[in-house]
Amino acid sequence: MAKVAFLAHCLLNQNAKVEGGAKTPAMWRPVVDLLRERGYTLRQLPCPEVAFGGARRFWGVREQFDTPLYRRHCRRLAKLVAAVMEPHLRAGDDVVLIGIDSSPTMGISFTPSAPHWAGKPDVGEDDSVLVPGEGILVEELEAELAERGLPLPKRTGIRHWFADYDPDEERRRLESVLA
Amino acid sequence: MTLGSDPRGRRVAVVADSLLEGLLDRLDEEGYGVIQLPPAGLDDETTALWLEQVAEHVAEFRRNGYEVVLADGGVHAAALERALAGLGVGDLPPLDDRR
Repeated sequence: MAKVAFLAHCLLNQNAKVEGGAKTPAMWRPVVDLLRERGYTLRQLPCPEVAFGGARRFWGVREQFDTPLYRRHCRRLAKLVAAVMEPHLRAGDDVVLIGIDSSPTMGISFTPSAPHWAGKPDVGEDDSVLVPGEGILVEELEAELAERGLPLPKRTGIRHWFADYDPDEERRRLESVLA
Repeated sequence: MTLGSDPRGRRVAVVADSLLEGLLDRLDEEGYGVIQLPPAGLDDETTALWLEQVAEHVAEFRRNGYEVVLADGGVHAAALERALAGLGVGDLPPLDDRR
C-alpha cells in the first residue's frame, strides 16, 4: 500500500503566500519532515490564489473569493488533483490531504470570514474571523471526487497562523491522520 | 502588508518529482521554495494539465521578479518550455550544480 500526501502548495513553497504570510524563506518543515519521516510520497497541489489573484494579491476572506469565476478556476485545478488522486484512492492506498486552516481556498476545518470586507484595501486591524468550513478549492475537489464516486481522503489543516497555534497539538493532529 | 514584509526567499525551484526527495534539504537551506513537476505514470492529458498550471505559477513569479530555476533532469524540459513560451516566459536557468 502506497502512502501519498497531497499537500497545499505553500507548504513546499512559502513564496505562494500572500505578502506578509510566509513563515519561512522556503518551506514549512514541521509537516514536510513529518510526512517524509512517515514515508509519504509528496504530491504538491497547485495554488489557485497565485495563478488567479497573483503574487501581489491582497489578503482575502472567503466572501471575496467565492465567485463563480474563482470556483471555475478552482474546479479546473480540482480536476487535475482528482485525476492524480483517483488511482491511489481506488487502489486503497493511504492518501491524506493537508490544507491550510487559515485559507479561504485551502481550509480543511476552518476558513476566514469577514462579510463586511470590500473596497479600499485598508481594513486596518484584521477583524476577520475563522469560521468552521472548507476552502473553495477543497470544496471543489470534494465535488469533483464525488462525481467520480470517491470521498475526500483523510485530512487536516495546518494552523500556523492561528493566534493560539500550538505546534505540539498540530503534530498530534497530523499524526492522527497518518498511517 | 507590503512587499518584503515576510521572510520569503523570493527564490523558486521547479523540480522533477524524481529529484525532489534528494534536493529538498539543500533547496530549503538555500531558500528555494519548490514547484513540483508531474510524477511519472500519469496519462498525457493529466501531465499536460500539471505542466500548464506549473507554467502559470512560474509566469506569475517571474513577472514579479522572483528568481526561478529548473531542476528537471530533462524529462519535462521541452514541454515546460513550450508551456512557458505560450505565456511569454523564456527558458528557466538550471539550478546550479553546487554541492
